[in-house]
Amino acid sequence: MRLAQAAEVAVVDLAVCDRCGLCLPLCPPEAIHLKLDDLVVDRASCTGCRKCVAPCPVGALAMTDA
Amino acid sequence: MPDVDVLVVGAGPAGAVAAWEAKRAAPELDVLLLERDRAVGAPVRCAEGVGDAGLREFASPDAAPWVARKITRVVFIAPDDTEVGVAERDVGWILDRTRFDAFLAAQAVAQGAELRVGTEAAELRRVVDGRWEVCARGSQGAATWRARIVIGADGVETMVGRWAGLDTRVPARDMESCAQYVLQGIDFDPNAIYLQFGDHIAPGGYAWLFPKGVGIANVGLGLVALKSDGRNARQYLDAWVARRYPRGARTAYTVGGVIVHTTIKQTWADGVMLAGDAAHMINPLSGGGIVNAMKAGRLAGRTAAAAIREGDTSGQRLAAYHRAWMELLGEDHLKYYRIKQALEGLDDDFFNALARTVNGIPQRQRTLGRIFAHALLKHPQLIPVAARFFM
Repeated sequence: MRLAQAAEVAVVDLAVCDRCGLCLPLCPPEAIHLKLDDLVVDRASCTGCRKCVAPCPVGALAMTDA
Repeated sequence: MPDVDVLVVGAGPAGAVAAWEAKRAAPELDVLLLERDRAVGAPVRCAEGVGDAGLREFASPDAAPWVARKITRVVFIAPDDTEVGVAERDVGWILDRTRFDAFLAAQAVAQGAELRVGTEAAELRRVVDGRWEVCARGSQGAATWRARIVIGADGVETMVGRWAGLDTRVPARDMESCAQYVLQGIDFDPNAIYLQFGDHIAPGGYAWLFPKGVGIANVGLGLVALKSDGRNARQYLDAWVARRYPRGARTAYTVGGVIVHTTIKQTWADGVMLAGDAAHMINPLSGGGIVNAMKAGRLAGRTAAAAIREGDTSGQRLAAYHRAWMELLGEDHLKYYRIKQALEGLDDDFFNALARTVNGIPQRQRTLGRIFAHALLKHPQLIPVAARFFM
Protein backbone atom coordinates (compact mmCIF):
# COMPACT_ATOMS: atom_id res chain seq x y z
CA MET A 1 0.00 0.00 0.00
CA ARG A 2 1.29 3.44 -0.89
CA LEU A 3 0.46 6.22 1.54
CA ALA A 4 -0.92 9.49 0.23
CA GLN A 5 1.94 11.87 -0.43
CA ALA A 6 2.32 14.99 1.69
CA ALA A 7 1.43 18.33 0.08
CA GLU A 8 4.68 19.82 1.37
CA VAL A 9 8.01 18.23 2.20
CA ALA A 10 11.09 19.48 4.05
CA VAL A 11 14.15 20.56 2.09
CA VAL A 12 17.60 21.36 3.43
CA ASP A 13 19.86 24.16 2.24
CA LEU A 14 23.22 22.40 2.34
CA ALA A 15 25.09 25.70 2.08
CA VAL A 16 23.62 26.70 5.47
CA CYS A 17 23.33 23.26 7.16
CA ASP A 18 26.12 22.47 9.65
CA ARG A 19 25.40 18.69 9.71
CA CYS A 20 24.82 18.86 13.48
CA GLY A 21 22.18 16.09 13.36
CA LEU A 22 19.67 17.84 15.63
CA CYS A 23 16.79 17.28 13.17
CA LEU A 24 17.19 13.48 12.95
CA PRO A 25 15.54 12.48 16.26
CA LEU A 26 12.83 15.15 15.74
CA CYS A 27 11.55 13.49 12.56
CA PRO A 28 8.59 11.17 13.36
CA PRO A 29 8.97 8.99 10.22
CA GLU A 30 12.80 9.09 10.46
CA ALA A 31 12.95 10.56 6.96
CA ILE A 32 16.15 12.56 7.57
CA HIS A 33 19.53 10.85 7.21
CA LEU A 34 23.01 12.13 7.97
CA LYS A 35 25.93 10.89 5.94
CA LEU A 36 29.43 12.23 6.12
CA ASP A 37 28.99 15.22 3.82
CA ASP A 38 25.25 15.18 3.31
CA LEU A 39 22.01 15.70 5.14
CA VAL A 40 19.30 13.96 3.13
CA VAL A 41 15.52 14.29 3.43
CA ASP A 42 13.74 11.29 1.97
CA ARG A 43 10.89 13.01 0.11
CA ALA A 44 8.89 9.80 -0.15
CA SER A 45 8.65 9.30 3.61
CA CYS A 46 8.49 12.98 4.74
CA THR A 47 4.96 13.66 5.99
CA GLY A 48 5.27 17.45 5.86
CA CYS A 49 4.80 17.82 9.65
CA ARG A 50 7.36 20.71 9.86
CA LYS A 51 8.74 19.50 13.21
CA CYS A 52 12.30 19.83 11.91
CA VAL A 53 11.97 23.41 10.59
CA ALA A 54 11.91 25.78 13.59
CA PRO A 55 14.42 23.85 15.78
CA CYS A 56 17.21 24.06 13.19
CA PRO A 57 19.70 26.39 14.93
CA VAL A 58 20.69 28.03 11.63
CA GLY A 59 17.40 27.90 9.70
CA ALA A 60 18.65 25.44 7.08
CA LEU A 61 15.33 23.56 6.77
CA ALA A 62 12.25 24.84 4.98
CA MET A 63 9.10 23.45 3.37
CA THR A 64 8.55 23.14 -0.35
CA ASP A 65 5.76 21.78 -2.56
CA ALA A 66 6.06 18.03 -2.83
CA MET B 1 35.52 -10.45 6.44
CA PRO B 2 37.39 -9.66 9.67
CA ASP B 3 35.74 -10.59 12.94
CA VAL B 4 35.79 -8.40 16.03
CA ASP B 5 34.24 -8.98 19.41
CA VAL B 6 33.15 -5.42 20.20
CA LEU B 7 32.68 -2.71 17.59
CA VAL B 8 32.09 0.79 18.95
CA VAL B 9 30.61 3.44 16.64
CA GLY B 10 31.71 6.95 17.63
CA ALA B 11 34.89 7.99 19.46
CA GLY B 12 33.42 10.66 21.72
CA PRO B 13 33.47 10.27 25.52
CA ALA B 14 30.90 7.42 25.53
CA GLY B 15 32.53 5.38 22.79
CA ALA B 16 36.14 5.89 23.83
CA VAL B 17 35.40 4.88 27.42
CA ALA B 18 33.31 1.91 26.24
CA ALA B 19 36.24 0.61 24.14
CA TRP B 20 38.71 1.33 26.97
CA GLU B 21 36.60 -0.49 29.58
CA ALA B 22 35.71 -3.46 27.38
CA LYS B 23 39.38 -4.08 26.69
CA ARG B 24 40.36 -3.53 30.32
CA ALA B 25 37.70 -5.97 31.56
CA ALA B 26 38.53 -8.64 28.95
CA PRO B 27 41.99 -8.12 27.37
CA GLU B 28 41.54 -11.15 25.08
CA LEU B 29 38.76 -9.42 23.11
CA ASP B 30 39.21 -7.64 19.78
CA VAL B 31 37.78 -4.17 20.24
CA LEU B 32 37.42 -1.76 17.30
CA LEU B 33 36.54 1.95 17.72
CA LEU B 34 35.28 3.78 14.61
CA GLU B 35 35.21 7.58 14.28
CA ARG B 36 33.37 9.23 11.38
CA ASP B 37 35.38 12.44 11.46
CA ARG B 38 39.00 12.60 10.40
CA ALA B 39 40.05 13.77 13.86
CA VAL B 40 38.83 12.53 17.23
CA GLY B 41 37.41 15.49 19.14
CA ALA B 42 36.73 17.78 16.18
CA PRO B 43 34.53 19.54 15.37
CA VAL B 44 33.65 20.52 18.95
CA ARG B 45 29.88 20.69 19.43
CA CYS B 46 29.93 21.37 23.14
CA ALA B 47 30.21 24.05 25.82
CA GLU B 48 32.92 21.83 27.40
CA GLY B 49 31.93 22.13 31.09
CA VAL B 50 32.16 19.16 33.49
CA GLY B 51 31.73 18.68 37.24
CA ASP B 52 34.82 17.90 39.30
CA ALA B 53 33.76 14.69 41.03
CA GLY B 54 32.41 12.95 37.93
CA LEU B 55 35.47 13.77 35.87
CA ARG B 56 37.82 12.40 38.55
CA GLU B 57 36.25 8.95 38.26
CA PHE B 58 37.99 8.72 34.89
CA ALA B 59 41.03 10.99 34.87
CA SER B 60 42.77 13.57 37.02
CA PRO B 61 42.31 17.10 35.66
CA ASP B 62 45.19 18.52 37.76
CA ALA B 63 47.70 20.02 35.31
CA ALA B 64 46.20 17.89 32.51
CA PRO B 65 46.86 19.21 28.98
CA TRP B 66 43.18 18.68 28.07
CA VAL B 67 41.90 21.19 30.65
CA ALA B 68 41.23 24.81 29.67
CA ARG B 69 40.12 26.30 33.03
CA LYS B 70 39.30 25.37 36.61
CA ILE B 71 35.95 26.82 37.72
CA THR B 72 35.34 27.86 41.32
CA ARG B 73 32.30 30.11 41.00
CA VAL B 74 28.90 30.12 39.33
CA VAL B 75 27.14 33.38 38.45
CA PHE B 76 23.42 33.15 37.72
CA ILE B 77 21.98 36.12 35.84
CA ALA B 78 18.27 36.83 36.14
CA PRO B 79 16.26 37.94 33.09
CA ASP B 80 16.57 41.58 34.28
CA ASP B 81 20.41 41.23 34.47
CA THR B 82 20.54 40.93 38.30
CA GLU B 83 23.66 38.87 38.98
CA VAL B 84 23.75 36.24 41.74
CA GLY B 85 27.17 34.83 42.55
CA VAL B 86 27.29 31.43 44.19
CA ALA B 87 30.71 30.84 45.67
CA GLU B 88 31.80 27.25 45.82
CA ARG B 89 35.11 25.47 45.69
CA ASP B 90 36.12 23.03 42.96
CA VAL B 91 32.88 23.41 41.06
CA GLY B 92 34.25 21.97 37.87
CA TRP B 93 36.36 22.32 34.79
CA ILE B 94 36.16 23.62 31.27
CA LEU B 95 37.73 21.03 29.00
CA ASP B 96 39.52 21.33 25.72
CA ARG B 97 37.35 18.68 24.04
CA THR B 98 39.67 18.34 21.04
CA ARG B 99 42.43 17.20 23.37
CA PHE B 100 40.19 15.48 25.93
CA ASP B 101 38.44 13.19 23.44
CA ALA B 102 41.82 12.33 21.90
CA PHE B 103 43.16 11.56 25.39
CA LEU B 104 40.27 9.14 26.05
CA ALA B 105 40.65 7.45 22.67
CA ALA B 106 44.39 7.09 23.32
CA GLN B 107 43.60 5.35 26.62
CA ALA B 108 41.48 2.84 24.69
CA VAL B 109 44.32 2.28 22.22
CA ALA B 110 46.88 1.93 25.04
CA GLN B 111 44.64 -0.77 26.48
CA GLY B 112 44.78 -2.59 23.14
CA ALA B 113 41.72 -1.37 21.23
CA GLU B 114 42.04 -0.46 17.56
CA LEU B 115 40.98 3.05 16.51
CA ARG B 116 40.04 4.05 12.95
CA VAL B 117 39.34 7.72 12.22
CA GLY B 118 37.69 8.98 9.06
CA THR B 119 35.57 5.83 9.00
CA GLU B 120 31.80 6.16 8.97
CA ALA B 121 29.49 3.25 9.75
CA ALA B 122 27.10 3.12 6.81
CA GLU B 123 25.00 0.05 7.47
CA LEU B 124 24.30 -2.50 10.16
CA ARG B 125 23.02 -5.95 9.17
CA ARG B 126 22.03 -8.80 11.42
CA VAL B 127 23.52 -12.13 10.36
CA VAL B 128 22.12 -15.58 11.08
CA ASP B 129 24.58 -16.54 13.80
CA GLY B 130 23.42 -13.60 15.94
CA ARG B 131 26.31 -11.31 15.05
CA TRP B 132 26.15 -7.96 13.27
CA GLU B 133 27.80 -7.00 10.00
CA VAL B 134 28.95 -3.41 10.08
CA CYS B 135 29.68 -1.80 6.71
CA ALA B 136 31.82 1.32 6.84
CA ARG B 137 33.34 3.71 4.33
CA GLY B 138 35.93 6.40 4.58
CA SER B 139 39.43 7.52 3.85
CA GLN B 140 40.72 3.95 3.68
CA GLY B 141 37.93 2.77 1.39
CA ALA B 142 34.98 0.54 2.24
CA ALA B 143 35.25 -2.22 4.82
CA THR B 144 32.97 -4.68 6.57
CA TRP B 145 33.42 -6.26 9.98
CA ARG B 146 31.43 -8.94 11.75
CA ALA B 147 30.90 -8.09 15.42
CA ARG B 148 29.44 -9.92 18.40
CA ILE B 149 28.41 -6.68 20.05
CA VAL B 150 27.95 -3.21 18.56
CA ILE B 151 27.98 -0.22 20.93
CA GLY B 152 26.27 2.81 19.38
CA ALA B 153 27.92 5.93 20.77
CA ASP B 154 27.08 7.96 17.69
CA GLY B 155 25.49 10.98 19.28
CA VAL B 156 22.21 12.85 18.92
CA GLU B 157 21.80 11.69 15.30
CA THR B 158 22.38 8.00 16.14
CA MET B 159 22.02 5.80 13.10
CA VAL B 160 23.04 2.67 15.04
CA GLY B 161 19.90 3.06 17.14
CA ARG B 162 17.72 3.23 14.03
CA TRP B 163 19.41 0.28 12.36
CA ALA B 164 18.92 -1.79 15.52
CA GLY B 165 15.23 -0.88 15.57
CA LEU B 166 15.39 1.22 18.76
CA ASP B 167 13.20 4.30 19.14
CA THR B 168 15.50 7.30 19.59
CA ARG B 169 13.01 9.97 18.55
CA VAL B 170 12.31 12.93 20.83
CA PRO B 171 9.41 15.40 21.11
CA ALA B 172 10.21 18.97 19.99
CA ARG B 173 9.59 20.36 23.50
CA ASP B 174 12.55 18.32 24.77
CA MET B 175 15.10 19.43 22.17
CA GLU B 176 17.37 22.36 22.93
CA SER B 177 18.55 24.14 19.81
CA CYS B 178 22.02 25.46 20.56
CA ALA B 179 24.46 27.89 19.00
CA GLN B 180 27.83 28.96 20.35
CA TYR B 181 30.73 31.25 19.54
CA VAL B 182 34.25 31.23 20.88
CA LEU B 183 34.66 34.89 21.82
CA GLN B 184 38.04 36.52 22.38
CA GLY B 185 38.91 39.85 23.96
CA ILE B 186 35.98 40.06 26.39
CA ASP B 187 35.81 40.89 30.12
CA PHE B 188 34.65 38.37 32.73
CA ASP B 189 35.90 36.48 35.79
CA PRO B 190 37.90 33.60 34.24
CA ASN B 191 37.21 31.44 37.33
CA ALA B 192 33.43 31.65 36.92
CA ILE B 193 30.77 30.29 34.62
CA TYR B 194 27.83 32.58 33.84
CA LEU B 195 24.28 31.38 33.16
CA GLN B 196 21.45 33.72 32.14
CA PHE B 197 17.79 32.76 31.99
CA GLY B 198 14.90 34.62 30.39
CA ASP B 199 12.16 34.26 27.82
CA HIS B 200 13.66 37.01 25.65
CA ILE B 201 17.18 35.55 26.00
CA ALA B 202 16.82 31.78 25.59
CA PRO B 203 13.19 30.60 26.01
CA GLY B 204 13.06 27.15 27.60
CA GLY B 205 16.82 27.08 28.10
CA TYR B 206 19.63 29.43 29.07
CA ALA B 207 22.56 31.38 27.73
CA TRP B 208 26.06 30.60 28.98
CA LEU B 209 29.60 31.86 29.18
CA PHE B 210 32.19 29.15 29.92
CA PRO B 211 35.78 30.45 30.18
CA LYS B 212 38.48 28.88 28.05
CA GLY B 213 41.11 31.29 29.33
CA VAL B 214 41.54 34.92 30.34
CA GLY B 215 39.39 36.92 27.91
CA ILE B 216 38.42 33.81 25.89
CA ALA B 217 35.19 31.89 26.38
CA ASN B 218 32.56 29.62 24.88
CA VAL B 219 29.53 31.91 24.67
CA GLY B 220 26.33 30.24 23.59
CA LEU B 221 22.75 29.40 24.31
CA GLY B 222 20.14 26.70 24.01
CA LEU B 223 16.43 27.25 23.52
CA VAL B 224 13.25 25.30 22.83
CA ALA B 225 12.12 26.31 19.36
CA LEU B 226 8.42 25.83 20.23
CA LYS B 227 8.80 28.79 22.65
CA SER B 228 10.78 31.02 20.33
CA ASP B 229 9.42 34.25 18.83
CA GLY B 230 10.30 33.02 15.35
CA ARG B 231 14.05 33.56 15.54
CA ASN B 232 16.42 30.61 15.41
CA ALA B 233 19.13 29.86 18.00
CA ARG B 234 21.83 31.71 16.09
CA GLN B 235 19.69 34.85 15.89
CA TYR B 236 18.97 34.77 19.64
CA LEU B 237 22.70 34.31 20.27
CA ASP B 238 23.66 37.21 18.02
CA ALA B 239 21.28 39.44 20.00
CA TRP B 240 22.70 38.30 23.36
CA VAL B 241 26.31 38.71 22.26
CA ALA B 242 25.61 42.14 20.75
CA ARG B 243 24.15 43.29 24.06
CA ARG B 244 26.67 41.76 26.50
CA TYR B 245 29.92 41.31 24.57
CA PRO B 246 29.76 43.70 21.61
CA ARG B 247 33.53 43.98 21.29
CA GLY B 248 34.29 40.25 21.32
CA ALA B 249 35.96 38.67 18.29
CA ARG B 250 33.93 35.66 17.13
CA THR B 251 36.77 33.27 16.34
CA ALA B 252 34.74 30.06 16.09
CA TYR B 253 31.12 29.05 15.68
CA THR B 254 29.19 25.84 16.24
CA VAL B 255 25.60 24.61 16.51
CA GLY B 256 23.96 21.46 17.77
CA GLY B 257 21.07 19.78 19.53
CA VAL B 258 20.91 18.78 23.19
CA ILE B 259 18.15 16.34 24.12
CA VAL B 260 16.70 17.32 27.51
CA HIS B 261 14.41 14.34 27.90
CA THR B 262 15.01 11.12 29.83
CA THR B 263 16.83 7.93 28.83
CA ILE B 264 15.17 6.10 25.92
CA LYS B 265 12.92 3.27 27.11
CA GLN B 266 15.10 0.56 25.62
CA THR B 267 18.84 1.12 25.15
CA TRP B 268 19.57 -2.44 24.05
CA ALA B 269 18.75 -5.01 21.37
CA ASP B 270 20.29 -8.37 20.52
CA GLY B 271 24.02 -7.63 20.33
CA VAL B 272 23.53 -3.83 20.58
CA MET B 273 23.80 -1.19 23.29
CA LEU B 274 23.42 2.59 22.92
CA ALA B 275 25.39 4.96 25.16
CA GLY B 276 25.59 8.72 25.75
CA ASP B 277 23.64 11.25 23.66
CA ALA B 278 22.48 8.43 21.36
CA ALA B 279 20.42 7.06 24.28
CA HIS B 280 19.39 10.54 25.56
CA MET B 281 21.54 10.17 28.69
CA ILE B 282 21.78 13.92 29.29
CA ASN B 283 20.84 15.67 32.51
CA PRO B 284 17.54 17.24 31.38
CA LEU B 285 17.88 20.15 33.82
CA SER B 286 21.46 21.22 33.12
CA GLY B 287 21.93 19.85 29.62
CA GLY B 288 25.24 18.33 30.75
CA GLY B 289 26.20 15.05 29.10
CA ILE B 290 29.97 14.44 29.08
CA VAL B 291 30.36 12.62 32.40
CA ASN B 292 27.04 10.82 31.88
CA ALA B 293 28.32 9.55 28.55
CA MET B 294 31.55 8.29 30.13
CA LYS B 295 29.66 6.52 32.91
CA ALA B 296 27.34 4.89 30.37
CA GLY B 297 30.30 3.93 28.20
CA ARG B 298 31.95 2.29 31.18
CA LEU B 299 28.82 0.25 31.94
CA ALA B 300 28.36 -0.71 28.27
CA GLY B 301 32.02 -1.73 27.87
CA ARG B 302 31.98 -3.88 31.00
CA THR B 303 28.64 -5.45 30.10
CA ALA B 304 29.93 -6.28 26.61
CA ALA B 305 33.05 -7.92 28.04
CA ALA B 306 31.09 -10.01 30.53
CA ALA B 307 28.42 -11.01 28.01
CA ILE B 308 30.98 -12.21 25.44
CA ARG B 309 32.85 -14.21 28.07
CA GLU B 310 29.58 -15.86 29.05
CA GLY B 311 28.77 -16.54 25.39
CA ASP B 312 25.43 -14.76 25.66
CA THR B 313 25.06 -11.49 23.75
CA SER B 314 21.27 -11.61 23.54
CA GLY B 315 19.17 -8.57 24.25
CA GLN B 316 17.97 -10.23 27.42
CA ARG B 317 21.58 -10.40 28.66
CA LEU B 318 22.40 -6.83 27.59
CA ALA B 319 19.29 -5.48 29.33
CA ALA B 320 21.46 -5.67 32.46
CA TYR B 321 23.27 -2.62 31.05
CA HIS B 322 20.01 -0.67 30.92
CA ARG B 323 19.12 -1.62 34.49
CA ALA B 324 22.57 -0.63 35.75
CA TRP B 325 22.36 2.74 33.98
CA MET B 326 18.88 3.47 35.34
CA GLU B 327 20.06 2.71 38.85
CA LEU B 328 23.22 4.79 38.46
CA LEU B 329 21.75 7.94 36.84
CA GLY B 330 18.69 7.21 34.72
CA GLU B 331 16.29 7.35 37.68
CA ASP B 332 17.82 10.69 38.77
CA HIS B 333 17.18 12.06 35.30
CA LEU B 334 13.48 11.26 35.72
CA LYS B 335 13.51 13.48 38.83
CA TYR B 336 15.42 16.27 37.06
CA TYR B 337 12.94 16.07 34.21
CA ARG B 338 10.05 16.62 36.61
CA ILE B 339 11.82 19.67 38.06
CA LYS B 340 12.39 21.01 34.55
CA GLN B 341 8.66 20.63 33.84
CA ALA B 342 7.76 22.44 37.05
CA LEU B 343 10.18 25.30 36.37
CA GLU B 344 8.64 25.78 32.93
CA GLY B 345 5.54 27.12 34.70
CA LEU B 346 7.48 30.02 36.28
CA ASP B 347 7.95 33.33 34.46
CA ASP B 348 10.68 35.97 34.21
CA ASP B 349 9.18 38.03 37.07
CA PHE B 350 9.57 35.05 39.37
CA PHE B 351 13.23 34.55 38.50
CA ASN B 352 13.94 38.28 38.91
CA ALA B 353 12.38 38.15 42.39
CA LEU B 354 14.23 34.95 43.26
CA ALA B 355 17.55 36.58 42.32
CA ARG B 356 16.88 39.44 44.74
CA THR B 357 15.94 36.97 47.50
CA VAL B 358 19.19 35.07 47.07
CA ASN B 359 21.21 38.30 46.99
CA GLY B 360 19.76 38.96 50.46
CA ILE B 361 21.72 35.97 51.77
CA PRO B 362 25.32 36.91 52.67
CA GLN B 363 27.72 35.66 49.99
CA ARG B 364 29.64 33.35 52.32
CA GLN B 365 26.46 31.63 53.49
CA ARG B 366 25.18 30.86 50.00
CA THR B 367 25.21 27.11 50.08
CA LEU B 368 22.70 25.48 47.76
CA GLY B 369 20.78 24.12 50.74
CA ARG B 370 20.42 27.55 52.32
CA ILE B 371 19.43 29.15 49.02
CA PHE B 372 16.81 26.46 48.60
CA ALA B 373 15.42 26.97 52.12
CA HIS B 374 15.23 30.78 51.75
CA ALA B 375 13.74 30.48 48.29
CA LEU B 376 10.99 28.15 49.55
CA LEU B 377 10.10 30.54 52.38
CA LYS B 378 9.90 33.62 50.18
CA HIS B 379 8.51 32.06 47.03
CA PRO B 380 5.80 29.52 47.79
CA GLN B 381 5.46 28.94 44.02
CA LEU B 382 8.58 26.81 44.41
CA ILE B 383 6.93 24.31 46.73
CA PRO B 384 5.41 22.30 43.87
CA VAL B 385 8.86 22.26 42.24
CA ALA B 386 10.41 20.91 45.41
CA ALA B 387 7.57 18.44 45.82
CA ARG B 388 8.16 17.06 42.33
CA PHE B 389 11.80 16.47 43.15
CA PHE B 390 10.95 14.22 46.06
CA MET B 391 8.06 12.46 44.32
